[in-house]
Amino acid sequence: MARKSSEAVSKLNRRRLLKGAAAGGAVVATEAITGFPTVWAQNIKDITLVVAGGSYAVIKEIGEQASKDLGFKLTMQAITDDVQLNRSLTQPQTIDINNIDSTKMPYLVGKGVLAPIPVAKYKQWADTVPLFTKNAYPDGRQASNQGLSPFKSMFYEGADGKKLATKATDFLTFIPTIYNADTLGIRPDLVGGRDKVTTWKDLLDPKFKGKTALVDYAPVGVIDVAMALESRGDFKYGDKGNMTKDEIDKTIKIMIDLKKGGHFRSFWSTFDQSVNLMASGEVVIQSMWSPAVTAVRSRGIDCYYVPLKEGYRGWFVGVAPMAHLSGLKLDCAYEYMNWYNSGWQGGFIAKQGYYSAVPSTARKFLPPEEWDYWYDGKPAAVDIKDPYGTLMEKKGTSRDGGAIWDRMGNIACWNTVMDEDRYLTRRWNEFVSS
Amino acid sequence: MHGSDEGRPWTFYAFAAFFGLFVLFLYGPMIVIYILSFQGPNGGMTFPLNGVSLHWFNALISQTRVGDIAGSFVRSIGLAALVAIVTVVLSVLAGLGFRRRFRGSAFAFYLAIASLIMPGLFVGLGIALAFRLLGLQTGWYTTGLGAQLTWTLPFGLLIMFAVLGRFNRSYEEAATDLGATNWQRFREVTLPMLLPGIIGVALFGFTLSYDELARTALTAGAQNTLPLEIWAMTTNVTSPTLYAVGAVTTIVSFIVIIAALTSIGAIQRRRARGKQAEQSHG
Amino acid sequence: MALLDQTADGAMGAAPPTAEQLADERSGERASWWQTAPLVIVLLLFFGLPMLVVLAVSFFDFSRTEIIPAFIFDNYVDLFRSQVTLRLYLSSLKFAAIVWLVTLVLGFNIAYFLVFHVRSLLWQIGLFLVCTVPFLTSNIIRMISWIPFLGRNGIFNQALEGAGITSQPLEFLLFSDFAVIVAYVHLFTLFMVVPIFNSMARIDKSLLEAARDAGAGRFRTVAEIVLPLSKTGIALGSIFVITLVMGDSFVVRTMSGGQSASVVSALQNEVAALQYPPAAASAVIMVIIVTLMVAGILRLVDVRKELAR
Repeated sequence: MARKSSEAVSKLNRRRLLKGAAAGGAVVATEAITGFPTVWAQNIKDITLVVAGGSYAVIKEIGEQASKDLGFKLTMQAITDDVQLNRSLTQPQTIDINNIDSTKMPYLVGKGVLAPIPVAKYKQWADTVPLFTKNAYPDGRQASNQGLSPFKSMFYEGADGKKLATKATDFLTFIPTIYNADTLGIRPDLVGGRDKVTTWKDLLDPKFKGKTALVDYAPVGVIDVAMALESRGDFKYGDKGNMTKDEIDKTIKIMIDLKKGGHFRSFWSTFDQSVNLMASGEVVIQSMWSPAVTAVRSRGIDCYYVPLKEGYRGWFVGVAPMAHLSGLKLDCAYEYMNWYNSGWQGGFIAKQGYYSAVPSTARKFLPPEEWDYWYDGKPAAVDIKDPYGTLMEKKGTSRDGGAIWDRMGNIACWNTVMDEDRYLTRRWNEFVSS
Repeated sequence: MHGSDEGRPWTFYAFAAFFGLFVLFLYGPMIVIYILSFQGPNGGMTFPLNGVSLHWFNALISQTRVGDIAGSFVRSIGLAALVAIVTVVLSVLAGLGFRRRFRGSAFAFYLAIASLIMPGLFVGLGIALAFRLLGLQTGWYTTGLGAQLTWTLPFGLLIMFAVLGRFNRSYEEAATDLGATNWQRFREVTLPMLLPGIIGVALFGFTLSYDELARTALTAGAQNTLPLEIWAMTTNVTSPTLYAVGAVTTIVSFIVIIAALTSIGAIQRRRARGKQAEQSHG
Repeated sequence: MALLDQTADGAMGAAPPTAEQLADERSGERASWWQTAPLVIVLLLFFGLPMLVVLAVSFFDFSRTEIIPAFIFDNYVDLFRSQVTLRLYLSSLKFAAIVWLVTLVLGFNIAYFLVFHVRSLLWQIGLFLVCTVPFLTSNIIRMISWIPFLGRNGIFNQALEGAGITSQPLEFLLFSDFAVIVAYVHLFTLFMVVPIFNSMARIDKSLLEAARDAGAGRFRTVAEIVLPLSKTGIALGSIFVITLVMGDSFVVRTMSGGQSASVVSALQNEVAALQYPPAAASAVIMVIIVTLMVAGILRLVDVRKELAR
């Protein structure tokens, strides 16, 4: 087993050297992946686990690296959210490990498809950011509880996995892996400068009529509008992430009026639509994801991810084994989960702008200049490239919004599933057809 | 309507122009795809062209963040070919069956129509749920194939209706009178006359399967078809590699078409020569 | 209209069937059964069975995250009472009607061109195949390419401005009802062309020569001979186009930028939120309505009559 580790280490070092050389940056500290593989079985190489989830996290390269480091095979299948949800419920045996979004939890809990994870099995619990372990920021403040916060979606009440708890317990719903803070993106060159948009209410500003876009997904789109309305002073919400029927009605009514007035140019349902809308100038302000902003910028078009006054909309995803796994397969699944947060993946995904739940391990796999840029918000000392060598940011730029806790420390509301989800869907359909 | 020694009437040119415009319309988005597939390495999926390069064609084969395009493409082609074959066989058979009045024909017919109308999303969901209730798992060659057939078979059947309507049976009757067995009659008379229709059904079956998304999503199992892979990728990635896919597919299709047409042309010429030889002997 | 009454078989006698004829019929029927059986079996297994499940689910109850087996009519009642349902159907029907008309005109003319003006079979097949090449590029990719084609800064607008026809980009070209219709026509015209082509190709050319000799002009020939004889093809093409448009959610969502809805795109929202029962009820109703539309078309043109004599 020691020999396997050192083989893996030397392979890793060679790979890193090559990548480092290509990126023109410093050579990464040659840290060994100590401790993997830990599962030793005769037939481990016959095990194949199917990992399914969104294409932002389920990436071929991650599966290949894991297969290499762990000794068994992982096949990655990128699927869309709605397919993931429906398949998890109707055909759960076709998925082994679910790369899942926190907002799917209320749908899947208690249906016997996901397996509770005893905290003891997750090796990096102590090093995981307090956002997930304590629902708090490192400076001790409590994190926002609007929407589906970590405490509301990460823990089961008991070992049977039937009900969600509202505080930390010993049974996890999933291992938190990636998270980020979302906000509005703008075209500074078309709106007159970076400082022209500073609060959420600017989304509804009439001077952007016909040039705005929202994400075409009810639970998220309506929160963005709620942030704008609260910022504008129209009314105050109890919990933007869990609106009452009345609040939904008021919000949708304003949205319908805006739509009829031609305020929205489009609604996007895929990432690339959002990038194209921005890059082509069809819209100048819209709800966007962080990698979309980077994608627009990498085309030489100025795009700014605005740190708005009222705060960000936060999200997080994780990895969960399916209930039908047992024996060696289940052990391998835990192995994969522990490997996931042991650093390689964290370093890889940092370049999409996503934070790792265990930054200390990710740090070992990021050149110091990239750590400074992505996590510490410092100006880039070198050109920042993505894992495939494409230039993302030029030397000297800083990450929009600053360091990790400037951004993640200012979450106004988390992505969510509301109690009135049924009602919201109906009213959203009304809005779209108006 | 026109003798072959007449010149072409003005309507020919009018129609030809009309057809030309239509082809231009069909290829409009394709032209955008071809141009943008040569996008520079830092360019996006919309204009402007940020430099010109073969970067994205390269990305198709090498390892980059566009998912498993190559793998899913090969899988999709295989599945589409299978679907096309099964569709042709089942549709032709059923079409021939419908040539007689039989009890239950209305049921069979409306079953196919309903299958055409039901949104693919529900066919997929229904299959996944039904199979779960039966304790079975979905899979590529079982439910994946089956779900796509629910889409292609109605098309195939209806096209056979168009082909077989007013089908001149006197040829078949003549063959029977001359002593042909059922199978001989089918192979030598019916089949050749149906051939253009069969090609139509095969083509429909292939492209419908190749493009299918909604019903395949929940029934394909643990592997993605090309549309599924592309759809999953576009939710989080944007890349002109997709355009490169479009450009390459077109090039390959044209090569196949030219090959097919030259071989058909060769066969036709050989037949014509054969006929001439017969006539000069007879 | 004696021309149209010609059948290849000639008139049938009116005598009652003999025992031999009955036996023949029955063996014919059995033959038809085994010929249609494979198709029917596949459809029953992969369509019929799932549909029973969907039908059952449409009577279930549901809460935010649970689907509760029950037998209630609430889902259907809600559907019929809701304003949104009416709006969605009107929206979908509007698209279906417009697209049907446009594809019919286009499809008929293209089929006519290919059958009557293109002389060699090779050219017919070749031109037809040229039309199908774009379809081998995945739908999703082609939908994406509409933005650089019709967008504010797309090549179409740039061409118009370059030629001096417009001075401002035309906004309605994209993310509008217009864009949705253009995309539908783009995708579905071929579905109209193929059946009409097949029907027209079976028209006996001597009929047209006879008409010409009798002094009929081009237009009259088309109106009184070609059109009626292509009825089947037109009916089938119409069935294809209407069911495709009514069943679509992807095109309408992408091309309208999420601002127009169709019946099925609303369904999709519900399924994505795991609200199976109301979505199932909506699907059942939609299938019934569109089947009635198709039955209506078939009443006008009995597609099976021409087939089975």
